[in-house]
Amino acid sequence: MRWWGARVGRGRRVFVAGILAVSALLGAACSTSEEKNVSTGPGKAGELRVLAGSELADLEPILTEAAKKTGVTVRFTFAGTLDGVQQVIDGTTRDRYDAIWFSSNRYLSLHPESAGKTATETKVMTSPVVLGLAASKAKELGWSSGAQVTWADVAEAAGAGKFTYGMTNPASSNSGFSALVGVAAALAGTGAALEQPDVDKVAPQLEKFFSAQKLTAGSSGWLSDAYAERSTGKQSGTKVDGIVNYESVLLSLNASGRLPEPLTLIYPSDGVVTADYPLTLLSSATDQVAEGYRALVGYLRSPDVQREIMVRTHRRPAIPQVKVDKAFGPASLVELPFPAKLGVADGLINTYFDKLRRPARTIYVLDVSGSMSGDRIESLRNALVKLTGADDTVAGKFQRFHGREEVTLLPFSSSPESPQTFTVPEKSPDTALADIRAAAMALESGGGTAVYDSVLQAYDQLKSESQGDYATSIVLMTDGENTTGSRLDGFKQAHSTFPPRLRQIPIFTILFGEGSTDEMNQLATLTGGRSFDAREGSLESAFQEIRGYQ
Amino acid sequence: MKRAASIVLAAVLVIGVGVAIYLGNSGSGAQKSRTDLSIVKGVIGSEKAAFFNDQRVQDAFAQHGLKVEVDTAGSRQIATSVDLDKYDFAFPSSTPAAEKIQRERKITQTYAPFYSPMVIASFRPIVDVLARQGVAKKDADGTWTFDMAAYLELAKKGTRWDQLPGNTTYPVRKNVLVRTTDPRNSNSAAMYLAITSHVLNGDAVVQGSADAQKVLPLVSRLFLEQGYTATTSEQPFDDYLSLGMGNTPLLFLYEAQFVDRAIRDDGSITADMVLMYPSPSVLSKHTVVPLNDKGSQVGKLLVEDPQLQELAATSGFRTTRPAQFAQVVKDHKVLVRTNVVDLIDPPTYETLERLLAAIGRTYEAKGAGPAPKDEELR
Repeated sequence: MRWWGARVGRGRRVFVAGILAVSALLGAACSTSEEKNVSTGPGKAGELRVLAGSELADLEPILTEAAKKTGVTVRFTFAGTLDGVQQVIDGTTRDRYDAIWFSSNRYLSLHPESAGKTATETKVMTSPVVLGLAASKAKELGWSSGAQVTWADVAEAAGAGKFTYGMTNPASSNSGFSALVGVAAALAGTGAALEQPDVDKVAPQLEKFFSAQKLTAGSSGWLSDAYAERSTGKQSGTKVDGIVNYESVLLSLNASGRLPEPLTLIYPSDGVVTADYPLTLLSSATDQVAEGYRALVGYLRSPDVQREIMVRTHRRPAIPQVKVDKAFGPASLVELPFPAKLGVADGLINTYFDKLRRPARTIYVLDVSGSMSGDRIESLRNALVKLTGADDTVAGKFQRFHGREEVTLLPFSSSPESPQTFTVPEKSPDTALADIRAAAMALESGGGTAVYDSVLQAYDQLKSESQGDYATSIVLMTDGENTTGSRLDGFKQAHSTFPPRLRQIPIFTILFGEGSTDEMNQLATLTGGRSFDAREGSLESAFQEIRGYQ
Repeated sequence: MKRAASIVLAAVLVIGVGVAIYLGNSGSGAQKSRTDLSIVKGVIGSEKAAFFNDQRVQDAFAQHGLKVEVDTAGSRQIATSVDLDKYDFAFPSSTPAAEKIQRERKITQTYAPFYSPMVIASFRPIVDVLARQGVAKKDADGTWTFDMAAYLELAKKGTRWDQLPGNTTYPVRKNVLVRTTDPRNSNSAAMYLAITSHVLNGDAVVQGSADAQKVLPLVSRLFLEQGYTATTSEQPFDDYLSLGMGNTPLLFLYEAQFVDRAIRDDGSITADMVLMYPSPSVLSKHTVVPLNDKGSQVGKLLVEDPQLQELAATSGFRTTRPAQFAQVVKDHKVLVRTNVVDLIDPPTYETLERLLAAIGRTYEAKGAGPAPKDEELR
C-alpha cells in the first residue's frame, strides 16, 4: 500500500514492526524473502514475476491454489506504487519483472513515458476508498448506515472538530492519494475532472477536512493495525475516531474481532475513488510468460475464484456474474473523476503538503559518534540531502521537506549537540532547503553514544516550542549501543511523567549498524512509532519511508 | 484422435473471462498435440478478445492447423506504439488505424471480416431522465436513439446530472458526460470524436484546420472533463457491467461488446441495461492487417470460413451476411436495431490524427482550459 520505498531489488527489504506484528507485515516480510528466488533475465514459462503493492500479500492462498490449477507461480516483489511507476517508465523492470500489480494504473498512465511499456491489463477486484468511523461516533454525527452524507458534510464536521481520523500519506500510499483526489473532486463540485484552479478554490474547505487528520501513515496496512491496537489501548499513540481506507481494509477490521466497537462505513453520496487492481503484463514479457499470464487472469476472473477473493479479502468482484455480497455497502457507487493531467495530480499532492495538511514538525536525533565515521556519516548526510529536493524521481520528489514544515537536526555523540531548527516557508522554499542541506553536509563524526540523553533533549525542545497545530514526531538514528548517560529504563521512567501532549509524540527509530534492535523496537512501541530497518536496505530509503509517517 | 486432442488443447488455450481454463490441463494428449499446431500471434483491439477467447473459435482455427494467440491493446496503440515485430497480424477496430499500419508496413491486402456500429450503453433510470430532456428517444421498434446534438448542448453548458429538472433518480453532482476510452490511444474514442466533431461541424465531416478549430474546444472538453480514461474499451465496459450505474451511467462502446454479453446469458446484462443508438453513429470496421503469411491465413479464414463467420455473429458482430446476425439476436432476444442507417463517414486518417493530437496536447497542459490554440493545429 506504500507508493514508494526502497528499490526492493537492490536489497532485501524487511520491515520490523514497532507495533505488534500483523498479517500484512508478515505477508510482506515472508514474500519479500521469496524474492531471493526470483531470477533475472527473460521470463520463463510457469512463472510470473510481479512487482506489486504489498497489500496483495493477502492473495497468497489464492495464488498458491492458482499455481496448482494453472501451472503459473506468481513471484511477488513488493514496492510502493510510485516506485513501481518509476521502474516502469525508466525501464528497469525489464528482465526483472513480467508484470506489475498495484491498486491502480491511473497515476502511471498520466506519465507519457509509460506509453508502450505495458501490454495487457486485467482488473482482478475492486475496492473503493471510504471513511470508517467508530459506530458510536458515526451515530453521534447522524451518519449511521444508510444516511446520506456528502464529502462537504464530512469536511464541515472535520473542520468543526467533531471527529478525528487517520489517513495514509498521499505520496506514500494509494489509499491516501485516492482520498485526496476524491475529497478534492467532490468539494470542487464542478462535475468534471479537477483542474489546478479548482484545487486552489476549494483549498479552505480541504484544509478543514485535513485539520481533523491526526494520524498519518506510510501504508494502509500499518494504519489499519494502528487504529485497531490503539482503539483497545494495546498500543500507545494518538487515538482517532476512524480511518480513511479501502473498504476492504475496513470490512476486514470489522470481521477481525479486534475492535471494541465496529466501524461504520461512510460512502459519501457524491462519490468515491475506487482501486481496481489491474494485473498488468509488461511489454517486455516473453511469449511463454504472456501465455501464463493469460491462463492466470482467466483463472482469477473465473466466478468461483472471484467469490473466494470476495470472501477472503473483502474486495469486490471484478466480473458481473458474481454479485457483491450484502456485507458490502451500496453495490453501485458514484465514481469521482481522476485527474486527466499529470500536472494536476502532482499539483494536488504538492498542495496537500505545502498548504492543506497539518504541517510536520520533526526532530531528527542523529548519531554522529565515532563509529559513524567513513561511509556511515556519508550516507547519513546523503539521506538528509535527498530530503531537501535532491531526488527528482517520481517517488522522491514528494519526499522532500515541504512548505510550512519545521525540521530540527539534533546530532549527538557523547552528549547532544546544539539543535538547529529550520522552517520551510510555504512559498520559495529553496533557501531553507539549502540551509538544511548545508547543515547535513556539515555533520562530522566522533565521540561516544548518548542515545537517551539526546532523545530526552529532543522532548525538552518540543516542550518549550510554541504548540501550534503540528504533526510532531521524533526520528532516531543510531548505529550503536547507548554508551553514555541515561539508559532505556531511565528514559521510560521520564517518559511516563510527560504530559499527554509529549507522550503522544511518536519516535520513528532506524535500525542501523550495531544499534540495539530490541531497544529501538521498544522505543517505537512505547511511543506509538515504528522502527525501520536500514541494515539491509539503506539509510536513504529508511529516511524516505519515514516521510510517509510524519 | 488429433481432432479430439485439439479440442482439449483449445480448452487449454482459452484465455479470457470467467472460463475454467484448468479443465484442459490434465492429460498428456493435450501437451503432446501443442506441437501439431502452428502458432499465430496477433495483437487485437480488446473488444475482440471475447471472440478469440471462445473455445469454438480456437477450435475452428485448430481445424486449419492454427493456434491463434492474441494480446489486446488499444487500436491506436496498435497503430503507433505496439512492437508489431512480435506479431503475425494486427487486428485494430477501424479502417483508419488499419490503413496506417498498412501504409507504414507496405501491406497490400487487408481483410474486413466484420463490423459493429458504435452505441451508447446506459441504464433504464438514466434513459428516462434523458428522455425528459429530449436526449433519448424511443423508436417504433422499441430501440432507443441518443440524440447527439441535444446531448452536446447539455455538455457545452457543463450540465450536471443534479441540474436536470425533475431528476430525482440520479441526482449526482457530476457532469452529464458519455464515458469513452482514452483518445490518445484507443479506437473507440476516435470513433466518438468522429461523431461529435461531425455534429459540431454542422453535420459535416471535419476537413481542414478551420473546421478543426471550430470543434476542438468542445470535443477536447468531452474527453478532458472525464478525467482518467482507460486505453481499451473492455475496461470501462467491465465497470459498466460490474460497478453499475453509479460508476458508469453512459458508456460509448461497440455494439458487439454489449450483444456478446447478452448472448452469453451469464447474468451480466440485467433487465435495466439499455442500448442506445447515437444519431448519428459510425461503423467500426474491424480490419485484419496481416504482417506475414501466417497472419494472412488468419485474415482469410475470418472472412471466408463459414464457421468463423457464424461464430463472429454469435459474438455480437455484424458480418457480411445480415441474416446471420439477425438470427443470433432473435435467438437470444437481444433488442438491437436491425438497420442502423443514420451513419456518418469518419474524417480522413490525417484529419482524425490531427484532431486527436491536438486533444492529446491538452492533456499535457497544466492550466485550466483544454482549448487548444491556433498554432497547435498547424
